[in-house]
Amino acid sequence: MVVVEIPIGPQHPALHEPIMLKVKTDGEEVVEVAVTTGYNHRGIEKLLEKNSWIRGMYIAGRVCGICNAVHTQTYVQGVEKLMGIEPTPRANYIRTMVMELERIHSHLLICAVMAEIVGFDTLFMLIMRDRERVMHLKELVTGNRVHADIHVLGGVKRDLDEVRRTRILDELRKIEERLKYYKKVYETDYTLVRRLSEVGRISKSDAIRLSLVGPTLRASGIKSDVRSDDPYAAYSEVPFNIEYRDEGDSWARMMVRLDEALESVNIVRYTAEKLPQGPAVPKTVPRAAKPGEVISRVEAPRGELLYHIVSTGGSNPYRVKIRTPSFLNILNTESTYLGHRLADVPVIFASYDPCISCTERVIVVDEKSGKKAYVSLKELARGG
Amino acid sequence: MGKTRLSLLREVIANLTKRPSTIKYPVAREVTVAPGSRGRQYADLMKCIGCSLCAIDCPANAIVMDKLPEPLKHNPRGVYPVVDYGKCIFCYQCVFVCPVKAYITTDVFELADYSTSTSREQSLSTIALGGSR
Repeated sequence: MVVVEIPIGPQHPALHEPIMLKVKTDGEEVVEVAVTTGYNHRGIEKLLEKNSWIRGMYIAGRVCGICNAVHTQTYVQGVEKLMGIEPTPRANYIRTMVMELERIHSHLLICAVMAEIVGFDTLFMLIMRDRERVMHLKELVTGNRVHADIHVLGGVKRDLDEVRRTRILDELRKIEERLKYYKKVYETDYTLVRRLSEVGRISKSDAIRLSLVGPTLRASGIKSDVRSDDPYAAYSEVPFNIEYRDEGDSWARMMVRLDEALESVNIVRYTAEKLPQGPAVPKTVPRAAKPGEVISRVEAPRGELLYHIVSTGGSNPYRVKIRTPSFLNILNTESTYLGHRLADVPVIFASYDPCISCTERVIVVDEKSGKKAYVSLKELARGG
Repeated sequence: MGKTRLSLLREVIANLTKRPSTIKYPVAREVTVAPGSRGRQYADLMKCIGCSLCAIDCPANAIVMDKLPEPLKHNPRGVYPVVDYGKCIFCYQCVFVCPVKAYITTDVFELADYSTSTSREQSLSTIALGGSR
């Protein structure tokens, strides 16, 4: 039979962000998938080099809208290490709370998007309606429903008062109830289970071989989470479980996210109840870092986020390299589409929770005729 | 695990009798923001010392230090910050970094305008009002 190449994207109703999947099909069966990125490149890493450490906090937050507090946290904790400053315990608890609120709304969003992609628009509307509660909580804590911008070097920008703390605890009860309901829907609904089960299965060994991260990895039965492997912020003091499943299919990935969102509710509740006394807002604004380099990692909603920051002293970073979870989860999973039907491609793709604005920071130097050219830093500096 | 074909039916029926969640903005102005939400901010010129820290740290380059009109010289440098709301990302770094806490914060978020909207008028009015001290 003739193999037909179908481009899905860069603008496509099933994909919510600009990315292109070149799908080759034999009849209905997918025989090859090539992921093409590069439609959303913004030069964020260069921008970070050109701006001061303080401006960098806000630029890092703009890498991704959904996980902005996580990006800022990764950048800020790296810079804090370079500057030799330590945030106060109270600031760490507030940072943890904001990051976990972000995880809840990010997971709710992808659960809604997945429902929409499989044609279950009622569920999409209901989840998005309840997600607004979480956004409102985030607005209550940080002052903005999307961009938190609460981090500053050495602490947080605003403290949490007693009134807000009580409101958070009240609202969390309602959010938890709704999350439990949606988990039940994803577990028992005939349409969702039939549509997502056995689709895009990744075995345990494949998940390690493809270096997947986050819920995508944990849905294949591997218990790996930066929050417990390399605790940052207040995670060393907060008790929580790492949610994982053994099935490895699209359904398991969604279930891991819903379980994790419920676990995040517990973390937010713990941080609100056990908020340590003391200052949270720093009095000084540090501006210069010592020479050195640092690797900072954080568990973003989509998996491990890594910043490599190099400083040569002074007010600007010399180099900031960002490795986002979606970069691994999107580009390394081309093989998981094979053998499935064309209609399954958006479902598998959405189950990786792709975030394109995170991914697009890569410049391919030379890839003509399968040849890869590596350019040394010195050559690049000379304009090579 | 029992599979149900119409798992949302009860939820959908319960919602039939409820009001829609959609807010009919701007016809009905029932949008409520959380207390302390980050909205339009401007400098109180009775407090501002013209140090330019907010302009230096602004990640969006939205703050420009402008010369105070001739009869008004409330700080020795004779300059005051003007926030361009078209560029501002409302991160409040200016509010945080200000050594004299001169910024007045509001939760006003409706900033769409036909012309360039800046904090100039509000800032200058703080002098006319005698400041917020």
